[in-house]
Amino acid sequence: MTELDASGALTPRGDADVEAASGPDGALGAPPGAARRQTVWADVRIYLGAVVVALVVNAVLLLAIGADPLVAYRQILSSSLGSVAALAQTLNRMTPLLLGSAAVAFAMRAGYVNLGVDGQIYGGAILATGTAFALYGLPAAVVLPAVLVAAILGGGTVALLPAVLRARRGVNELFTTVMLNFVAFYAADYLSTGPWTDPVAGEAISVPIGAEARLPGFLTGGGHIGILLALPLVVAMAWWLRRTRAGFEFRAVGGNPRAAQFGGVSLVATGVVALVVSGLVAGLAGGIEVTGVHRRLILGLTPNFGYMAVLIAVLARRSPLGAIPAAFGFAVLIVGSDSLQRSVGLPASAVFLFQAVVVLAVLYFEVRRGGVLAAVRGRVGR
Amino acid sequence: MTPTDLVDANLLRTMIVVATPLLVAALGELVLERAGILNLAIEGMVTLGAAAAFVVLFAMAGLTGGVALSLLSAATAATVVGLVLAYLCVGLRANQITVGLGLLIFSLGAASLLYRAVVGVTTSPPRVPTLTPEAVPGLAEIPYLGTVLFRHNLFVYAALLLVVPVWWLLFRTPLGLRIRATGENPKSADSLGLPVQRIRYGAVLAGSALIGLAGAFFPLVLTGGWSESTVGGRGWLALMLVIFGRWRPWQVVAGALLFAYVDAVGFVFAATSRLIPVQFLQMLPYVLAIAVLVQVYQRAQAPAALAKPYDREARY
Repeated sequence: MTELDASGALTPRGDADVEAASGPDGALGAPPGAARRQTVWADVRIYLGAVVVALVVNAVLLLAIGADPLVAYRQILSSSLGSVAALAQTLNRMTPLLLGSAAVAFAMRAGYVNLGVDGQIYGGAILATGTAFALYGLPAAVVLPAVLVAAILGGGTVALLPAVLRARRGVNELFTTVMLNFVAFYAADYLSTGPWTDPVAGEAISVPIGAEARLPGFLTGGGHIGILLALPLVVAMAWWLRRTRAGFEFRAVGGNPRAAQFGGVSLVATGVVALVVSGLVAGLAGGIEVTGVHRRLILGLTPNFGYMAVLIAVLARRSPLGAIPAAFGFAVLIVGSDSLQRSVGLPASAVFLFQAVVVLAVLYFEVRRGGVLAAVRGRVGR
Repeated sequence: MTPTDLVDANLLRTMIVVATPLLVAALGELVLERAGILNLAIEGMVTLGAAAAFVVLFAMAGLTGGVALSLLSAATAATVVGLVLAYLCVGLRANQITVGLGLLIFSLGAASLLYRAVVGVTTSPPRVPTLTPEAVPGLAEIPYLGTVLFRHNLFVYAALLLVVPVWWLLFRTPLGLRIRATGENPKSADSLGLPVQRIRYGAVLAGSALIGLAGAFFPLVLTGGWSESTVGGRGWLALMLVIFGRWRPWQVVAGALLFAYVDAVGFVFAATSRLIPVQFLQMLPYVLAIAVLVQVYQRAQAPAALAKPYDREARY
């Protein structure tokens, strides 16, 4: 028996392999030239194959509950992409998914797994709502930025404890971040049914925030500019990881912590940065949900988005940029299945099943390819 | 709430009932982890087991054999998920964290869909009668202890006693030694001729069946219904219990009782407490879990090969 070595035993397998195979600057991980085209083509086949598998599996399930799969698929597309208003809804849903998955992917780059995005979103939402209440009536130019900064700090605060426990006591962040999801959930439950509750609603819903704390609209149909905040932030994260010295050191820790340490990189500092920055970014998602969508603190703000964010980050191969299309695809599924919920009574969480099948199929095809092509590639980098 | 309320007989009785699903799920996870497989899908598997058990109870309302069949369907549903986990993580050596989370989401979705397919769309969630507690003749009349210990359903006793066969299997049989060897050092185990992959497959399937059974306790003993929040993180708590118990069955029992006590305090005082908001009581098990992790983690002795895929042809 050895000690449960937090850095070794429970970090995702293959970090070093991926980093080695894709080279030091490979955010999307591709060697140059002909080999690059070949790899991209193989990736395209994997993702297309996974989508086909998921479509077939989901069709069987839709038939099982008595719905016509083709009609359902058409409805998913038309309700999520069929009009400007539909697209606005999809972008609204995409925003927290993108921020959450970029946050997870970022931490994964240094070898840390942040399962606490849900809790960090609640942390951000709570602080954003509280700030909006405190600054009630002040001009929007002051209130909105303050509220969003508060949201970011709220998310970072929730991530701080796992970061400190990991740095100081070696407690694996997997477990602490999950536990904090529940703590944050009940804190939000307390605030939205207790001190901040809307007496008219009779549910876990707070009173609305003032108009000055609302995110401006974008497109039509309830769209908000959250996506315009998220995209530059995600690009900036990718740039930092890929183009800066600090980002290189950060990724070096994810690739081989021992080697990075010998190279003079502080593992403790990297771990704290990885988790806290991850939390800060996730917190912004909570602030955007409060100021842009619900205009109040509610329970079930982003149900299970944290675990979805991990799946998206895996699909995106831990690349913030890769999370953009993946989060968009997940958002299409969520908006589409919301409309299926209304028309054929599909339960809201049935969409999880579809998303999970996509991800598991991608994992399956990737591992299979690894097995089949391992001989051809000669296991370079092992 | 007065100090004597904290050792109230009914509270301790609730503790034992609440401990059963935690304990069964944690024992299942223990078997898996002892073979070197980390199962992050446990929360989803428990939820799916609960849904599978509920729909059988719902469809067979009042028929004999409904309870046995519901247990069977709970175990089967989780075992199917376990089979996928075993195939991807043992057979194909995929990353256990990502596969586990994928299957977590998968199971949560499958549970909702199963419920929808059988129960349909209803205005108010249907309920089935929970199993009635039975007083053990004679012993149940003992003041205090009788209420705490001897007024439970048969399945509650079965769940509590499950630790004995699990402990016996893992620590007193050759098979148990092989399972543990597989989780400690698969290469050595392989070099001694043990079928590492097959042992891991078996441990994953057996552990998953137990985790599914744990889910059945929610409709059978605790709630009589099913919703997406029925399990509400108790699967994750079971995962914590394995760490708390340092991968040893008897310590897991102690942990299950401790966490169930804290959980039961939330249950029992939710209705009556005016002093402390309910949500803070509901938060307690998770706060306790973090505190426990901090205390236990550094000295914890995890199976050395936990979450590490075994590739017999890899060169280290």
